[in-house]
Amino acid sequence: MKKISFLASVLACGLAQAQIPASVASTIVAKANGFLSSLDEGQRSKVLFDFNDAAQRVKWSNLPTTMVARSGVKMGDLTEAQRKAAMDLLAAMLSKRGYEKTLAIMGGDEALKTAGGGRGATMFGRDLYYISIMGKPSVSDPWMLQFGGHHLALNITMAGREGILTPSHTAAQPAKYTVEGKTVRPLGAENDKAFALINALDEAQRKQAILNYKVADLVLGPGQDGKTIQPEGIKGGAMNANQQAMLLDLAGEWAGIINEQAAASRMAELKRNLAETWFAWSGPTTNGTPAYYRIQGPTVVIEYAPQPLGGDPTMHIHTMYRDPTNDYGKKSVSR
Amino acid sequence: MKRVAAGALLAMSLAPGAAGHRLDEYLQATLIAVSRGGVELEIRLTPGVAVLPVVMAAIDRDRDGRISVEEERDYAGRVAREVELRVDGKPAALSLIESQFPSLEEMREGLGTIRLKLRAERTGRELRLENRHLPQISAYLVNCLSADGLAVGRQERDQAQRSIRFEYSFGKSEAPFWLAALGMLVVARIAACSYPWKLRTLPYGRGSDWSRAR
Repeated sequence: MKKISFLASVLACGLAQAQIPASVASTIVAKANGFLSSLDEGQRSKVLFDFNDAAQRVKWSNLPTTMVARSGVKMGDLTEAQRKAAMDLLAAMLSKRGYEKTLAIMGGDEALKTAGGGRGATMFGRDLYYISIMGKPSVSDPWMLQFGGHHLALNITMAGREGILTPSHTAAQPAKYTVEGKTVRPLGAENDKAFALINALDEAQRKQAILNYKVADLVLGPGQDGKTIQPEGIKGGAMNANQQAMLLDLAGEWAGIINEQAAASRMAELKRNLAETWFAWSGPTTNGTPAYYRIQGPTVVIEYAPQPLGGDPTMHIHTMYRDPTNDYGKKSVSR
Repeated sequence: MKRVAAGALLAMSLAPGAAGHRLDEYLQATLIAVSRGGVELEIRLTPGVAVLPVVMAAIDRDRDGRISVEEERDYAGRVAREVELRVDGKPAALSLIESQFPSLEEMREGLGTIRLKLRAERTGRELRLENRHLPQISAYLVNCLSADGLAVGRQERDQAQRSIRFEYSFGKSEAPFWLAALGMLVVARIAACSYPWKLRTLPYGRGSDWSRAR
């Protein structure tokens, strides 16, 4: 008896760690239903997809929506009230900083549109982000929200009370812009924390971490689902406690995009695997210069890749966030 | 009304055509899948708009502005010949398994990716690969994929990633510890779910299901 009780409590602990509170899950579902009910029938039919629609699941990209079409409804086609309902849903599914990061990425695209003297009006801007829902929003059955456009693809799977953000793509162009005198760097923390980490390593550790070759782009970017490459660089297990904390904090820039409760569970998982998590770097180590890095562990692959496309690579960043064991919540959904 | 003050840094990509797609490089990304039966290469070739004429000159041999099936096949064959694979020091001939070519329109926009899948039947312990295809205009990525039971030694590349060398071996097809632990957790959870826990919560000795079950 005691053994069974012990097993039950261990399982309960494990499950409790992986779950978001019922109240949060209910709020998310309510926001999703609120958004759906704000739409007319035609819009709703554009937004909703079967949860098992394999083609829709992978229909995301780093590229502008005029180059790679997205499905769902476009923000620019929604009324103010509908758009607010869509953004309220997104805010409920993301953490405060994740939501702010999303807005900053979209703001960057708006800056890109404006800065071209209007030439990019048809290709860039906040109006050109799409939202779609796969499955029926539910606190028990799996469903998924897709939100994205140029430089943004959030694939958020809700499986009961688990929230999974992988695979997701964040990017920034320009990586730095100003709004009303205030500087915005959508992926500034991803940049600065990484440079801090590489410079916190000692010479021998840096020698392990720094790859002796140039990495021109993301290795496992959009369209590369289901693949895992051999890890390289330095293992978390070869770092001291402070460096490990910096590595975890850096990974948190992606893991922490989803709402705080789901993020806490994900961070706990990443922390457990930290000793087996690799950090690889390619490029100079002075902040402000273009450098690629990768974080790769048993349940995570993160890539950060400056893009040498049309100018200063530090002003155009692509990133990828994956969980090779649980992309699109495949592990969680099968539980 | 928000005033967006774009700095000089924005000037780099104001032309819509410069957004997010390749310009002056031919990106050749290779993933190597090593198995007990041989080696498979997946090569993705993405020409930037500025280098498309060079790439087209290599593909569109009759200069008619179109890519025929024969030209696709010939080009895939050329890439297969210019990617040299050696296993244990011996050349391993690559045969084309699959090829996909994008439309010319997509390539003109810098969005088109040619996908080739090549295979060599040779197995061994050390792999060397060198990509000699259009080096003047290309940027390269080359990586070995992970696989169950596959152990890969240090991967050595040149600075441009045109070449790679590594040793590899296959152990038992054991799942990694964390996967095994996960499996155990899942099994335990299924067992836990199957067990009539709710009966245990009923008070003893009141004619409950629990007391009856005992």
